[in-house]
Amino acid sequence: MASALTVLRRLYLSIYNWLVFIGWFQVLFLALKALKESGHEHVYNAVEKPLLLAQSAAVMEILHGLIGLVRSPVSSTLPQIGSRLYLTWGILWSFPEIRTHILVTSLVISWAITEIIRYSFFGMKEAFGFAPSWHLWLSRYSTFLVLYPTGISSEVGLIYFALPYIKASEKYCFRMPNKWNFSFDYFYAAILALGIYVPGSPHLYHYMLGQRKRALSKSKKE
Amino acid sequence: MKVTLVSRSGREFINGGLELPDSATVADLQEAIYKRTKKFYPSRQRLTLPVPPGSKERPVVLNYKKSLKDYSDEKQNKLTVVFKDLGPQVSYSTLFFFEYLGPLILYPIFYYFPVYKFFGYGEDRVIHPVQTYAVYYWCFHYLKRITETFFVHRFSHATSPFSNVFRNCAYYWLFGSYIAYYVNHPLYTPVGDLQMKIGFGFGLVCQLSNLYCHIILKNLRNPDGSGGYQIPHGFLFNIVTCANYTTEIYQWLGFNIATQTVAGYVFLVVATSIMTNWALAKHRRLKKLFDGNEGRPKYPRRWVILPPFL
Repeated sequence: MASALTVLRRLYLSIYNWLVFIGWFQVLFLALKALKESGHEHVYNAVEKPLLLAQSAAVMEILHGLIGLVRSPVSSTLPQIGSRLYLTWGILWSFPEIRTHILVTSLVISWAITEIIRYSFFGMKEAFGFAPSWHLWLSRYSTFLVLYPTGISSEVGLIYFALPYIKASEKYCFRMPNKWNFSFDYFYAAILALGIYVPGSPHLYHYMLGQRKRALSKSKKE
Repeated sequence: MKVTLVSRSGREFINGGLELPDSATVADLQEAIYKRTKKFYPSRQRLTLPVPPGSKERPVVLNYKKSLKDYSDEKQNKLTVVFKDLGPQVSYSTLFFFEYLGPLILYPIFYYFPVYKFFGYGEDRVIHPVQTYAVYYWCFHYLKRITETFFVHRFSHATSPFSNVFRNCAYYWLFGSYIAYYVNHPLYTPVGDLQMKIGFGFGLVCQLSNLYCHIILKNLRNPDGSGGYQIPHGFLFNIVTCANYTTEIYQWLGFNIATQTVAGYVFLVVATSIMTNWALAKHRRLKKLFDGNEGRPKYPRRWVILPPFL
């Protein structure tokens, strides 16, 4: 009965990947449309619904890794998805004042192109069983060369420009005194997050460069 | 005796090899390598016997005390040794000293100096008795650790990779400051008197037990440092393999019961998981070594680290 489970798994993953692909396609389409028709200040409002849905759906991927449905290690998907959810819900959704910033446009477009490529790649693999032509495959391992820097700069920039709003609002803060002698300050947490980007981003970029080298040399051998 | 030195890729590491007297020890070989390469002092060298290609066996590490004859080819009087550079090393005593020095100095700063004004709080502050006992307890703990480093512990390896200095100091210094910030905070809320006494009392008993565990472990090994593993016995070791970690964990639990901060409990959880990893490895190693075959004793049934859970 193992093959029935395999079929089920492939069916589920195909549907999942293609659905999220559609979500991100919508994000890109609506973003470009709003940019053209109304200007960068209105991009967030245009993409909010599909963005929140498509990005939050990615939590499923942690589950997939945990239960062994896919091979990706949780240790690499968790920080990636964590930072995405932090930006989406913890910054953009929580602090409306930042939504009109131009970096929202670069963020949303960088993310959308990356995800469209990624989800269509996995969608095709699960549905049709083969990796698409090397040319499309190449775009998966090459677009990040531009999209990672633009995406990461947008993330860092938005967190930075949101700082005054975070501090003023006192949102998500837990103060002393209390019997557990615990406190949490969302403003300082944001500064810590910025701090993590400093070593974290080159590390991630290096990792992707390594993956690219490996994948391309493998294809050369085939 | 001719010693040929190769790197792990098979390349000859020292051209022409080295010539050593037949009676030479591995330590003499290490000295010779150091003299020749000038960069690789003995503690940086990892010398092993070559393993046949494709073999899954772990290579035999040369013991610095043994003579080269114990490893060489008897008939031909020569030896091939694989060299690996372990990178810059730091002695364990140095490493431990600096990682413990941080908490010892940083924590009292939060207690004695008006640092909270830099966090936006005024300078008035009421000091609760528990905060005073806490700073004494904390400093006693790290002074104890430093003392044990120099006078009690017998390390199985003399050195550790230098990069561990940054990693270990970050762990101790950051957690130390994180806990100190909350326990000495002007808005700190103390627990009841009885809870405080139970916490510190229990913690102190565990610290002293921990010291005794360390003394027992020290006496397991020969003073000349010939090391090797023994089955620990005596005191709590009769029921749990890593009684030293057990007492350390409970000692921190005592501190947290008395001071009650989330920061302290987070530290407890992280420290416990680190020690549990070590304990599992040690327990496994001892069980494998003392398997009851060929006259070796069989490792007795014992808890690993935290009865009754593990």
